[in-house]
Amino acid sequence: MDELLENIATCIEFGKINTGSPFPPDMRGKKGADEYTREALDAGINPHTVLTRGLMVGMDKVGKKFRENKVFVPQVLMSAKAMNTAMEHLMPFFYSGDISAKGTFIIGTVFGDLHDIGKNLVAMMLKGNGWNVIDLGMDVATDTFLKTLEGHPGAVVGLSALLTTTMANMHQIVERIKEKKPQTIVAIGGAPVTQDFCDKIGADIYSPDPQGLLEDLDNKLFAR
Amino acid sequence: MKDIMTGQERIRKAMRREATDRVPWVPFVGVHGGYLLGIAADEYLKNSEAIARGVGKAIELYQPDGIPVVFDLQVEAEALGCKVQWSKDNPPAVISHPLAEGKSPKDLPELDAGSGRIPVCLEATRRLRETYPEHALYGLITGPFTLALHLAGTNIFMQMMEAPNEVNALLEFCHDITCKMAGWYMDAGCDVIAVVDPMTSQIDPASFEQFVFPPVTRLFEMIRNRDRLSSFFVCGYAQQNIPAMCACRPDNISIDENIPLEYVRKVAEKHGISFGGNLKLTSVLSMGTPGEVEIHALETLEEGGDVGFIMAPGCDLVMGTPPENLQAVTRILADPYHREFVKTVRSAKVEEEVPDLTDHWNADKVVIDIITLDSSSCAPCQYMVEAMELAARPYGDKAECNEYSIKTREGLQMMSALGVKNVPVTVMDGEILFVSQIPPARNIEKAIQKKLRDKKLL
Ligand code: B12
Repeated sequence: MDELLENIATCIEFGKINTGSPFPPDMRGKKGADEYTREALDAGINPHTVLTRGLMVGMDKVGKKFRENKVFVPQVLMSAKAMNTAMEHLMPFFYSGDISAKGTFIIGTVFGDLHDIGKNLVAMMLKGNGWNVIDLGMDVATDTFLKTLEGHPGAVVGLSALLTTTMANMHQIVERIKEKKPQTIVAIGGAPVTQDFCDKIGADIYSPDPQGLLEDLDNKLFAR
Repeated sequence: MKDIMTGQERIRKAMRREATDRVPWVPFVGVHGGYLLGIAADEYLKNSEAIARGVGKAIELYQPDGIPVVFDLQVEAEALGCKVQWSKDNPPAVISHPLAEGKSPKDLPELDAGSGRIPVCLEATRRLRETYPEHALYGLITGPFTLALHLAGTNIFMQMMEAPNEVNALLEFCHDITCKMAGWYMDAGCDVIAVVDPMTSQIDPASFEQFVFPPVTRLFEMIRNRDRLSSFFVCGYAQQNIPAMCACRPDNISIDENIPLEYVRKVAEKHGISFGGNLKLTSVLSMGTPGEVEIHALETLEEGGDVGFIMAPGCDLVMGTPPENLQAVTRILADPYHREFVKTVRSAKVEEEVPDLTDHWNADKVVIDIITLDSSSCAPCQYMVEAMELAARPYGDKAECNEYSIKTREGLQMMSALGVKNVPVTVMDGEILFVSQIPPARNIEKAIQKKLRDKKLL
């Protein structure tokens, strides 16, 4: 069982999707996250174990390498794609209640801002870490965040902004959320955002990368 | 202290790593040109006459050696059918990707010199060429990788791994576009072609070599064959790719504020090419004070050195950057005495006490204080001191001249007590009257007489 889980983690780490996928070149023709996950479930390994000791281990490794500039956006996206393929096999267990998500995370790039590469990476890392993610896309209005939050009480909200001008919009969104649902945890990020700014606008979490966000979220959940 | 080289010569020599009389300066004026005219970005970038005027104004204000004509990385994409969203204070942004919507490159409109806003860019170039024959005009073109991303969207990142041949074919298509654009800009009179490819900051060196190196290297080769200069700009955190960028053989690389200049200098040196950029766009140029900009420019200059270094911002200037801040950069480059002044003041202990000047003033005479670097190493300082002494002589005891060199502790104290921010400066009875330039003798005489009359001594 350990070997299967290790193989899953390796495939996620290096972005190996399935037997047919050409990437990475040195794993060509070998099995990928797709096959190994199926095999693990068929071998009777608990789906929750597959998620936490297979997929999440792999995503954690890419997250760390990305943080250290050892891999870049294309590699992380490949890992995310491998993870999504593996998740297909796990989805039924989420619905049946055999695996429960850590919680719901609503994420979007704030209005006026069309940068979504970073936001997408954050969303993928959250998924890979066991969160139910609702991605609202980019250029998202304050009301859209609020409405979505209505339908998912207790969800965490994540805002992304890459422009100094749209950071101001972040301020407005945080204010409205805190006004309507003061207990909501709001996380913010994006290249120009800082801890200082986070404190100033009354958001709860700032992180320069997805890895830090996951750590902070775990801490907050633990504290609850 | 008259400049002997034209901006063009300075840029050309710096790009060849030859000696220049001073480090050249290229402010990356984009929509900031509109700001100087009070015109919004969405109007400015569609009007060749406005662009020529805006850039002309920047040339007058900032005395640069070179300057971009248009800084907008959406021109080609828009002409090829990408939808753009306009903004008042930024260049437009691409919001649709035709190749992600089922089209293939051969379905896109054929690009010619009349497509989209290309005629606006070329017309602005021709006008500026005519008015400013001695400045280096930069024609900015969208780099092939950023153009590919505009056309195909971010899926291209995964296609690079899964279908590399398709991505190479797309980059080949983009390469043809870049060659056309470069050609038109050169025909219109540009001295330098700057290939701006910020998206390459997001990829690893191996992918850079596989996809970006081949088309860009051939583009630079083509520019070299036409005896023009080339620069490779990458805004963004691209440290991992600096050696690969140099290997493409541009004449110059220009980098973002996030990358240590010392590192870039070493790599560029090794490849025998020139380098530049690095001035902080937002935190200093846009939000700092002129004093902060001077220190930052000085430090950047010290790190860049005087071989093959071109002073420039990390990317295109924020639209509302205060002109005084850019003029502060100009001052540091063009005025060696001012540079020395900033250097001296910077290294001085700032916590010097401000002296009480009550006893310094005198009801029976005019007190003339000249703040200098030190009149032996600063010729204008020496002339100013001599001019003041000469003008004061006829008034005997009624006029007293004191020179204070900021290289001494006393001089620094006087400088802060009098609120002086330049050298040489003449202050009469506490009033700052003559800054940097030596005034004609008549003006000095008038000033002394006025002070004496105020005190009823004349
Ligand atoms: C890619 C890019 C674009 C692409 C965007 C494509 C896309 N689909 O996203 C395009 C070409 C469309 C574009 C357009 C523009 N851009 Co742009 N762009 C960039 C670029 C090169 C990279 C950004 C990026 O994707 N980085 C990679 C990702 C992985 O990093 P990231 O987004 O920071 O995300 C990470 C963290 O911040 C964090 N994070 C992100 N979100 C969140 C959220 C939470 C909750 C948390 C916890 C963490 C977190 O985790 C992520 C992973 O580590 C940067 C320069 C640079 N290299 O930074 C300029 C840059 C951001 N753009 C800039 C500008 C000015 C523009 C334009 C206005 C002008 C223009 N036309 O060029 C338009 C604006 C459009 C708009 N209205 O939004 C400026 C911003 C200056 C400023 N500070 O205001 C930059 C810095 C370039 C520069 N001039 O120096 N751009």
